Amino acid sequence: METNPSFLARHEFLIRRLHSLSGLIPVGAYMCIHLLTNASTLDSSATFQRAVYQIHSLGHLLPVVEWVFIFIPILFHAIIGVVIIRGGLPNYGSYKYVNNLRYTLQRATGMIAFVFIMWHVFHMHGWFHFKDWREGIAEPLGGAQFAPYNAASSLGAAMMMWGVLYPILYAIGVLSCVFHLANGIWTMGITWGVWVSPVAQKRADRICAAFGIVLAVVGLSGIGGAVRIGDHGQRYEEAKAVEEKMWDAKIASGEIDPEEGLHKRSDTNDGHASAE
Amino acid sequence: MADTSHNGHKAPDSFEVRILRQGGPGQNSYWERHRVKHEQDMNVISVLQRIAANAQTVDGKSVAPVAWDCNCLEEVCGACTMVVNGRTRQACTALVDRLLEDNSKEIELQPMTKFPVLRDLMVDRSRMFRSLQKVKAWVPVDGYYDMGPGPKQSREQQEVAYPLSECMSCGCCLEACPQYTKVELTQRDDESDADFQKRKNAAYDSSFIGAAAISQAVLFNSHPTGKNTAGERLDALMDEGGIQVCGNAQNCVAVCPKEIPLTTSIAKAGRATTIHAIKKWFDR
Ligand code: SF4
Ligand code: SF4
Ligand code: FES
Repeated sequence: METNPSFLARHEFLIRRLHSLSGLIPVGAYMCIHLLTNASTLDSSATFQRAVYQIHSLGHLLPVVEWVFIFIPILFHAIIGVVIIRGGLPNYGSYKYVNNLRYTLQRATGMIAFVFIMWHVFHMHGWFHFKDWREGIAEPLGGAQFAPYNAASSLGAAMMMWGVLYPILYAIGVLSCVFHLANGIWTMGITWGVWVSPVAQKRADRICAAFGIVLAVVGLSGIGGAVRIGDHGQRYEEAKAVEEKMWDAKIASGEIDPEEGLHKRSDTNDGHASAE
Repeated sequence: MADTSHNGHKAPDSFEVRILRQGGPGQNSYWERHRVKHEQDMNVISVLQRIAANAQTVDGKSVAPVAWDCNCLEEVCGACTMVVNGRTRQACTALVDRLLEDNSKEIELQPMTKFPVLRDLMVDRSRMFRSLQKVKAWVPVDGYYDMGPGPKQSREQQEVAYPLSECMSCGCCLEACPQYTKVELTQRDDESDADFQKRKNAAYDSSFIGAAAISQAVLFNSHPTGKNTAGERLDALMDEGGIQVCGNAQNCVAVCPKEIPLTTSIAKAGRATTIHAIKKWFDR
């Protein structure tokens, strides 16, 4: 115990409110967009590739946007979240109320989500972009598997690297994130004083539950879409062909510099064999 | 009716009571078993009276009587609050026949787990009273001259305020709250009582104030005269250990024996502190 109140203690109110807010904006909002984008693989590989090109049209700004609006807020939310979890003492064993179970699950899913996101970002993105890290460490360890300009095919191959293991891990991770967001929006409404009366809280609860179910379906569809491509030789090849055509078009129009864009493509023309 | 059965449930002739005892602050706690003869309409307080009179464990060992607290015996003072069969409640309204319906063999009694034990089932709940001080849970009317009658309260306002005013500071809401964790300090050898009190107050002030004090702050902020100091109460609610520590488990409202709408108070205080924080930010 410190005698002088720490920084965290002196600004506890502000930090907790920022923690609450950051869960929705930008982290939660980003997650919704992310899951929706991923679900577009179900439409076609081209739709997904188009969405990814759009995101990557930010060019050199993309890493800045990623860090400022995604990674740093997630790390902040996670670190303060761990501090909060350490300050509580779940007691569902003695007080078996639904809301108490949700309190406990909110903490459990938060921890799962954090581990999952760290692993997921490593698996797909490799954490850092610079070449030595990517090629020397991330890729040999099975990370940095996603190639933005071979979006659907590399996603599918990455998802099926270990048979059904990764789809299962992704499903657990995505469902944890979705629960954490939907339940978090509900508690956030109480924390900020948006829904006050028990009737209003009940109503908000139903809306949050419906939102959670829809988002869970969207999230699982994304995983399903990736599995569909990665698990099927022909669909994988089709995806590659479409990506090739789109790449050629981008080069032809001068929208992408082939030199610069190369590191966003799968290593060789067929670096990852589809799992057959 | 002399029948001791309840809902056709045959009551046993006697039952065991398992009590978590502790000689004094900082000492080790231990379980002890007592056997009590079943009588009609017993509650946990009458059980404890029999145990004190008998002062003998099941194995016939003579022991010091178990210590406990009580006053009103009608669930309005909160003094007898303890953990009965794993659940925080008042001993005076914990009816033995009801408890034996869940488990006909024994009743388990423990002191509250979030407050320092003074002895056996008696705990020191001064942290809760400190929280009430912190949020200034009163209407400031003291002065040198007569201030005259206060403003009238509307019927609606009375109906909202009355349930909140029923709080008896029993601490059940704190006992069940996963965010409310025990703070127990021990007096150092070279420490005066006043210094120890100061150290305790500082420790209490930086820990969670809990649902009861939040609800009292809401009560007095809704009072026409109490409103005058609403800002100070909101400042206290936003201090370290304030409302932001609440994790919305909503156990408090589920266990409150007075059925006080604590989570409504928490949401109201959440809204008021949100607005207060924004105002303060722009008024600086
Ligand atoms: S709010 Fe209810 S549970 Fe909490 S101290 Fe008051 S009466 Fe007891
Ligand atoms: S709602 Fe807040 S105060 Fe009530 S039990 Fe939950 S964490 Fe504690
Ligand atoms: S003795 Fe007063 S509440 Fe039980």
